[in-house]
Amino acid sequence: MRRVKIGIVATVAAGTLLAVWGGVASAREADSTASLAAAQAKLPPLPADIRSRGRFNIAVKCDTPPFGYIGARSQNAGFDVEIARLFAKFAFGKPNRVTMSCVTTPAREPALTTGRVDLVIATFTYNTDRETRIDFSRAYYKATGRLLVKNGGSVQGLNDLAGKTIATTSGSVYDRWVKNCYKDTKLVITDGFTNALLAFRDGRADALMFDDTILLGIAVTDPTTKLTDDLFLQQPYGIGIQQGNVALKRWVDSRLNLMKKRDLFFPILKNTVPPKQVAPFSKNILRPKQTFAYNQGDITTVCS
Amino acid sequence: MSSLLALGFDPSFFSDVWSFVDANADELQAGLRRTLLVSAIAIAGAFFIGLVLGAARAHRVPVVSQLAAVYVEVIRNTPILVQIFFLFYGLPQIGVRLEAFTVAWLAVMIWGGAFNTENFRAGFEAVPARLREAGFALGFGGISTFLNVTLPIGGRIALPSSINTYISVVKNTSLMYVISYPELTTTVLQVQALTLQTVEAFTVLAATYLIIVWTLSALIRFLESHLALPKAL
Amino acid sequence: MNLPDWVGDVARYMLEEGLVNTLRIAGISLAGAVLIGVTLGTLMTIRFLPLRGVIRLYIEFWRGLPILVTIFIIYFLLPAVSLSLRFEALTAAAIGLILWGSAQVAEATRGAVQSIPREQHEAASALGFGWVGRHAFVIMPQALRRLLPPLVSLLVNIIQNTTIAQVIGANELLESGERSVERLTAPPPIGLGEIHSFEIYAAVMAIFFVISFPLTRLAAYLEKRLI
Repeated sequence: MRRVKIGIVATVAAGTLLAVWGGVASAREADSTASLAAAQAKLPPLPADIRSRGRFNIAVKCDTPPFGYIGARSQNAGFDVEIARLFAKFAFGKPNRVTMSCVTTPAREPALTTGRVDLVIATFTYNTDRETRIDFSRAYYKATGRLLVKNGGSVQGLNDLAGKTIATTSGSVYDRWVKNCYKDTKLVITDGFTNALLAFRDGRADALMFDDTILLGIAVTDPTTKLTDDLFLQQPYGIGIQQGNVALKRWVDSRLNLMKKRDLFFPILKNTVPPKQVAPFSKNILRPKQTFAYNQGDITTVCS
Repeated sequence: MSSLLALGFDPSFFSDVWSFVDANADELQAGLRRTLLVSAIAIAGAFFIGLVLGAARAHRVPVVSQLAAVYVEVIRNTPILVQIFFLFYGLPQIGVRLEAFTVAWLAVMIWGGAFNTENFRAGFEAVPARLREAGFALGFGGISTFLNVTLPIGGRIALPSSINTYISVVKNTSLMYVISYPELTTTVLQVQALTLQTVEAFTVLAATYLIIVWTLSALIRFLESHLALPKAL
Repeated sequence: MNLPDWVGDVARYMLEEGLVNTLRIAGISLAGAVLIGVTLGTLMTIRFLPLRGVIRLYIEFWRGLPILVTIFIIYFLLPAVSLSLRFEALTAAAIGLILWGSAQVAEATRGAVQSIPREQHEAASALGFGWVGRHAFVIMPQALRRLLPPLVSLLVNIIQNTTIAQVIGANELLESGERSVERLTAPPPIGLGEIHSFEIYAAVMAIFFVISFPLTRLAAYLEKRLI
């Protein structure tokens, strides 16, 4: 069992080293360690237990590009992963001072409640129900629901959904929203986005419902499909923190605000998404003059 | 009971489990029904596959026997979870689309059929040659000898091992969690995610499988004692 | 034959991380299952009833549950009961396989030990062996011969059941394949915007076949030779 653990640590450490060596962090070089230290001087300090450990334990996704995935060189990569590395740099001066573990969607909450990790940065959608069991940082990313359809297909908007079939991923807000609000619509629910896309491509579903930026990437590469004009289910992502860990939440919130103030999300974005998608994606991140907050109440029961 | 209490066991646990079942009775029942339905279809299919291909293997029917051997080896030597992934997530890429329900029964049927082919082959091959010769001596043809001699005797020999395969079929339906087919495991996990009653949910899940599996195991022991072939054979 | 460009990176990741973890989980699980299973199976042959009842319950419990449910219990339920029972996904999967595998081995060992004729026990006692010496030097060597074919079959089963660890996100071969499929589906520069689930899952099946097939042949051969 020990060897398994050592193996995991070694693998993650090797992956982290590789990524750093690969120069993924280049865009952030401008923000030198010294200036980061100065900027943080008046911000809340890191909780003592993490400081004495000398590194973060952070849960990320490994099968959800572009947020958390395994890159071509077998390294952890993605938007959420880069935030985790920047946090390590804030806390310890080096982006590799973080042990990343891969979580599945249902394992995210238990990872926090059982203290497996300090933080969960894994496309974690805020909702008031989850808030009763874990704490969330301020919102750091805002996904919006869109509908991808075939050009000239039978679905050209949310109004056409009655009697049609929609593909989306299991347990997502879309899954619950369609079940609540479009009772005449059939669902193809899959594990992972690729399988939802497959269901749509091969005709098992008339439309694909998912996050704006992911669908945009598909629409750009597949000229036979397009996004409808409907915008629905704004879902800000937050960073998950163990409930009641006020000191850590203060640390995280203050660093996210610092990143907003210095526009540090934008270079991460440029490093993680295709150049064509930087503009649309950039509407979803925190920037000096761009902000958003969580929805209160359960958005999946609100039918338009 | 008092020793359990000394270990910190809370007797209100049983009423907690019961109220969990009561509050989610509709979903749990639907999940259990789907587990049993998928299992029943797969077991019936696996029975026929095992019977036909097992006979073809035992009697070395040309071509069919070799194809059956390939089928058995491929299924036995690859994980059923990967077979499920391949059927549900791999095949659509080449245009073969199957519903979750179809994959659910098909995957365990293909799997059970392969193991059952081996069970029946071994059963048929264990029938002493002199009994079949006796069949021929009575004027039976090849097929009547199979139906009247090999099948009743070999089938009885194969019965316990084939019921073991059916037990595994039932347990393997839990893997349909990965394609979100709402059988028992998927249903209980979904209810657990909503209610957060982790202990109650897993108690109900484990107890249900144990009841099904232990009942079938008891059936094997009953059949073994009642269908045992006379020693003289 | 020219393989497409994406194959190299995917193959490296799946073999260097996925397959290595698969073999690691399988090795640990086999060792644990044999150690616990042989011990419990031998204890089962002692005519001391309460102990036998407990071991019987252990065997029927872990054999009766689907391995997926056992692994869920270890990964999700145990930490909810006590924080000290918190395991990594790979470890949780190995524990689940050890519980299931040891139940299989215990049952096989009991059968193998009981199949050794009574005279062997008596002869060993006559030579002055105590219970431990009798089992260690006379009974077990003979029982192990009969145990070898089912142990090789168990190894095949354990190797195949390591894939169930995928469900809790442990990075074994199937999970490494799924992560690769997801990456390749993403548009460039992350992936290719292409779906390669058919090739990748077929490759996972092929790798398992290449490992398992010689072992099932070996089990069949041993069964003919040793029994």
